[in-house]
Amino acid sequence: MYYFDWTTFFQYINPITAFQDPLVRSGLLATVMVSIVAQLMGVILGLFAALGKMSKFPLFRSIAELYVWYFRGTPLLVQMMILYYGLGVTHIFDFPDIHIGALAVSGAIQAGTLALGINEGAYMAEIVRAGIEAIDVGQMEAAKSLGMPYGLAMRRIILPQAAKVIIPPLGNEFNNMMKTTSLMTVIAATELLFAFSQVNARKFEPFELYIAASLYYLVLTTLWSIIQARLESGLGERKGAEQTPGMLQRIFAVKEAH
Amino acid sequence: MSDPLLDDSYTPDASTIVKAIKVNKYFGRLHVLNDITIEVCKNEVVVVIGPSGSGKSTFLRTINHLEKINSGRLYVNGHLIGYTLRNGRLHEESEKNIARQRAEIGMVFQRFNLFPHLTALENIIEAPLNVRQIPREQAEEEGMRLLDRVGLADKADKYPNQISGGQQQRVAIARALAMKPSLMLFDEPTSALDPEMIGEVLDVMKELAGEMTMIVVSHEMGFARAAADRILFMDEGRIIEDTTPEELFANPKEERTRAFLSKILH
Repeated sequence: MYYFDWTTFFQYINPITAFQDPLVRSGLLATVMVSIVAQLMGVILGLFAALGKMSKFPLFRSIAELYVWYFRGTPLLVQMMILYYGLGVTHIFDFPDIHIGALAVSGAIQAGTLALGINEGAYMAEIVRAGIEAIDVGQMEAAKSLGMPYGLAMRRIILPQAAKVIIPPLGNEFNNMMKTTSLMTVIAATELLFAFSQVNARKFEPFELYIAASLYYLVLTTLWSIIQARLESGLGERKGAEQTPGMLQRIFAVKEAH
Repeated sequence: MSDPLLDDSYTPDASTIVKAIKVNKYFGRLHVLNDITIEVCKNEVVVVIGPSGSGKSTFLRTINHLEKINSGRLYVNGHLIGYTLRNGRLHEESEKNIARQRAEIGMVFQRFNLFPHLTALENIIEAPLNVRQIPREQAEEEGMRLLDRVGLADKADKYPNQISGGQQQRVAIARALAMKPSLMLFDEPTSALDPEMIGEVLDVMKELAGEMTMIVVSHEMGFARAAADRILFMDEGRIIEDTTPEELFANPKEERTRAFLSKILH
């Protein structure tokens, strides 16, 4: 019978003892940082892709549609490998390590973040576009009739309103993003999963260690759900919007009794 | 192809605000504007009536280039609106230049189209601040004066969904006036309002009449009688009658006009 090593398990789920292992520390930090940076990239790229898709210029429309088509139609894992190994071998870009203060960002982390961000942009494009299209056309007409050029009207009138529609799905995207960063393990980027794999290589207790790893993701996504619920209820209160899902409903994906 | 009937030697004079010469527009095969030719002078109030689908709203929207035209010439303040002429053909102006032209033309919409994420005062000062680059303090001061003028100084900090339809439309009028336009366009400004709120909006518009050039698409005959210098009757994309309200109500020339008036005057 398999003997479950509770000692190792507790050692690695208790942050105080787990963080004594520098691998776990840097892995967790990398997962959080990569998620944030890649999601930001995704939002920015998604915004441009959405505007491109709605552009009156056929060239912009084609570029945006090609981008969304390719990055949504091919596996992220493959995109990541093309970026890291492909660009590396062609010497188009070798992903040298970057040092930001005391923080060393490895090439694998850079490539992984880039792939996650570009891929996310293709998904965000649809979300942003749906948000913009949800705004009544009268808003753009009113802005134009006041002499606002397209860009100004977008920035000051349409996007602030679209943000209300975009933020809930954006929160879900970020939740996914934190889990998806684990794919970077295949290009040996030291994120959370890779860190636990490294620990496992030393101790060979995969059951205990991977369950422990999964719990870190669970903590991250749960914390985010709580933050998200706060953000959205704040958003709703200010504009008198309808009730957003409560925290329990969000975490367990069940309907709360009223 | 230049139209030999079009006189491109039109020289603007200061008293003409809008000049339309044989303006045509099609939606697919539908001829929505058919050789529209009119002139609106400074401080004139022109009311446009006509059955739905007659092209009156479309015509109004061509005046600030929210709708493109297919042929003809449409001048506002002596400038072709939305286009430049090259070899007798219309070429659409750049985004920036169209925006600059629109800044001189106020528009009030049927559904108000206030910006819901901004307060009444913020709605009013948005364009003066960001289009005209007026200092905030000055813009707010002028904005408050305009709110006061439409009787809503106490609603400055309210969001559109916190005030009534009539109040929203009055804020929308103030918002358009804040750009100090030389022409105001009203696209059925009272038809989305509950009956008891129509009066307050018309009162504001009546007060504006006389000091502002206005083109108003509306079936409010009381307003037309009290404030309009001219009344246009449109049907099937054409201007059928162009006369004074008194004349139109007393003896409409066309049978169509008579039939239409009998329907809306009960």
